[in-house]
Amino acid sequence: MSNQEYDVIIIGGGITGAGTMRDCAMRGLKTLLIERSDIATGATGRNHGLLHSGARYAVNDPESAEECIKENMILRRIASHCVDETDGLFITLPEDDLAYQQTFVEACRKAGISAEVIDPELAKRLEPSVNPDITGAVRVPDGSVDPFRLCAANMLDGKLHGGQVRLHTTVTGFIKESDTIRGVHTRNLVTGEERDFYAPVTVNAGGIWGHDIAEMAGVHVGMYPAKGALLVFAHRVNNMVINRCRKPSNADILVPGDTVCIIGTTSTRIPFEECDNVSVTPDEVNLLITEGAKMTPSLSSTRILRAYAGVRPLVSADDDPSGRNISRGIVCLDHEERDGLKGFITITGGKLMTYRLMAEIATDAICRKLAVDKQCQTAETPLPGSEESSYEAVARKIWEKPSMAQKAAAARMGTRASRIRTRDTLDEALICECEEVSVGEVINAIERLDASTLTDLRRRTRIGMGTCQGEFCACRAAGLLAKSHGCIEKEREDLKEFLQERWKGNFPIGWGDTLREAEYTQWVYKHVLGL
Amino acid sequence: MKFNTVIIGGGLAGLTAGISLQKAGCSTAIISTGQNALHFFSGTLESMEDAPQRVTDLFAEAGIALHYTPGVRLMPMGTFKKAALSLEDISLFPETKIGQKALIVSFTGYHDFFCSFLAEGLEKQGVQCRIKLLNLPELEQLEKSPSEMRSVQIARTMDRIWETVVREIRILLRDEDTVILPQVFGLRDTSVLSRIRQGIPAQVVFTGTLPPSVPGIRTQILLKRRYELLGGTYLMGDEATGAHVYDGAVHSIVTHNLGNHFLEADNFILSTGAFFSKGLKSNPFEISEPVFGLDVEQAGDRSDWYNPEFMREQPYMKYGVATDSSLHALKGGEPIKNLYAIGSILGETRPELGTGGGLAIRSALAAADEILKNTKE
Repeated sequence: MSNQEYDVIIIGGGITGAGTMRDCAMRGLKTLLIERSDIATGATGRNHGLLHSGARYAVNDPESAEECIKENMILRRIASHCVDETDGLFITLPEDDLAYQQTFVEACRKAGISAEVIDPELAKRLEPSVNPDITGAVRVPDGSVDPFRLCAANMLDGKLHGGQVRLHTTVTGFIKESDTIRGVHTRNLVTGEERDFYAPVTVNAGGIWGHDIAEMAGVHVGMYPAKGALLVFAHRVNNMVINRCRKPSNADILVPGDTVCIIGTTSTRIPFEECDNVSVTPDEVNLLITEGAKMTPSLSSTRILRAYAGVRPLVSADDDPSGRNISRGIVCLDHEERDGLKGFITITGGKLMTYRLMAEIATDAICRKLAVDKQCQTAETPLPGSEESSYEAVARKIWEKPSMAQKAAAARMGTRASRIRTRDTLDEALICECEEVSVGEVINAIERLDASTLTDLRRRTRIGMGTCQGEFCACRAAGLLAKSHGCIEKEREDLKEFLQERWKGNFPIGWGDTLREAEYTQWVYKHVLGL
Repeated sequence: MKFNTVIIGGGLAGLTAGISLQKAGCSTAIISTGQNALHFFSGTLESMEDAPQRVTDLFAEAGIALHYTPGVRLMPMGTFKKAALSLEDISLFPETKIGQKALIVSFTGYHDFFCSFLAEGLEKQGVQCRIKLLNLPELEQLEKSPSEMRSVQIARTMDRIWETVVREIRILLRDEDTVILPQVFGLRDTSVLSRIRQGIPAQVVFTGTLPPSVPGIRTQILLKRRYELLGGTYLMGDEATGAHVYDGAVHSIVTHNLGNHFLEADNFILSTGAFFSKGLKSNPFEISEPVFGLDVEQAGDRSDWYNPEFMREQPYMKYGVATDSSLHALKGGEPIKNLYAIGSILGETRPELGTGGGLAIRSALAAADEILKNTKE
């Protein structure tokens, strides 16, 4: 054991890995997180960003519902700068059975979720975008949560507690001695550098890719990739989360988030080979618009910004090769107990909402293996940035008279916005006008949040997420990135990849203003800028 | 009031047609929303591989010097592109090694001009580069506002202080034979370009910025001025919303601002541009032309409109209004006898007319000639 470098290695930079890293580091473990791409590139960054009250699961999955409402209340406290406390409505449309409302409300109350039946007229006043023909409405403590911010904040706190993060680094194999995992072989996908890392415990937090990671370690985890497609609209049409009060189905949740709103989702089983490159089909787009407009009619005339899809890491229970008994609950597998493979744990299943609990369960298991007796504190300790509850208070504390852009930055970063460089007015110049992102905020993301590409920057600052989809901000930010890493050729390629990635989400909904914007971008980059 | 020709769309195509007709003595009006593709003009007339006297004269009379020097030009991302007929801003070179040593000059806090990309691109061609950012107190006011350091705002300041910039560059210049500057000069006074070139003892290469394009906006201003001096009526900030078409001919059009006062004319020209300019509209099922409901050549299925690779040619950009050989627009397969479609609303349905600026000018002149021929008859 002389050459061990860490107490624990976590594979996967989604919210589960980031949360586990934070928990481990807070309990004093020497922690390394390895991610082959960037933070939140899998299911973490490809969902609604819904702060579930648990109401959606109350009828069919009371256990998940109870987990959700508990974590919901915790996240409001510890992640206030990532959470928007909008509340939610479960509406009944004329075509839905109003009798379901009674079942729903009872199940919510049983799970500890406050569910208040309100007059449809009141619901329409609270949320004017809702279909005026609703026959029933229930108010629940739903909200929205920014998964990129949440993931970045967990990693940042892990780093503040001494943990290390290696992004753009892939695990190429396990260092195995007879029946024990001793560490991992890795390769940095940017520099090509190959390195080995050792730890008595390695955690597989790879989401759907955890299936392949487990295979590489020599054990089998029966995962079922279920694709979910979503659409982002260019305006924040609704202020409260809107759900259909019926058995969960397709396209029945509309979540407001930042400057946009998101409708989803669908659920389609896909082969593992497609997980790296999921795309949204025209049928899915049509379904999402049609169903979404039933809840909120104005969606049919609102510009769609992009289409995207994520893959849920569902797990079939052990000894169920058919996959019928699929749970959306948390699955923590100690492969020593299960398969006789020492030093290896898989944490999967679950959902964005319950990431902290998943991390706690995984870290408890890690501590048992390492014989460390430390209590979890992640439920009480605010994440970095969330020490204040209102972003306006944060902005006023940092800047005497905060500008719109500074308020926007405070809303994105919470108290961490104080780290934005504002040496002079030049740092306040806007790189992204749609989302009001300043030079200082971009530099902060490059220097402190490990952003090395334009797409990394998008996840940390919302650059390129606005109505222009990166038309101008992309090359402005590329200039700043080029300055930081000094390789122009690489940055030119990065710019092409960024534009390609944006186009991938634009062409499935390429009509109206989206097509106008795309024509402009394609013309400008090819003919005017000469990329 | 009745015109000989009403032109819908005041970009390069519409203005070229309007000027040609006014010169020939026809009364015309142009309806313009105010924004058009000249605002992101690269400075090179795409697909003009020749320099017809008629075109260079038309521009020269408007105070715009075009030069025809087939070669390559430096693009803002540090790449090179073939180019021929261009504005005087654009330097054209026989080869990509445009000098021995270059001084690239920009302004502190200006993010829309890509010095490091230019330097890398030039160094690849064997040109040694040095980047200098000017710290001008005259730009301080712009710097204070987070979104004011953009090309046109800087150009307005440069119209006043370009001589200061020339002096600064003379001081900075060591042994460089080339100076690269952003295209933020001569917004209202083109003579500034040649005076900067004379004032700096090295070849000066003005290079593009992020839009809006200063040379493009200047071109728009000068063409519009020329058109109005010729007696043309430029209705700025208006938009055609509908048309009255009887017996295969347009009788009048309806505009947003004029309401019930319909614009009547013997001939109509549609130069409203492609998608971005709203000459073409799209919904999930089809691409359409909103003013007249003209036929649009397109693939039937939306999935055929795009190439999933961003940088590849996009099929939707080729779609456009269908026309007969004299550019009469078609509706229901039949030509409307006094309506001509010109410019980028044609997409690539008329490949013989070229693309971009070349298409705008060729189709505008062809439509004007057709109208003049018919008017004489």
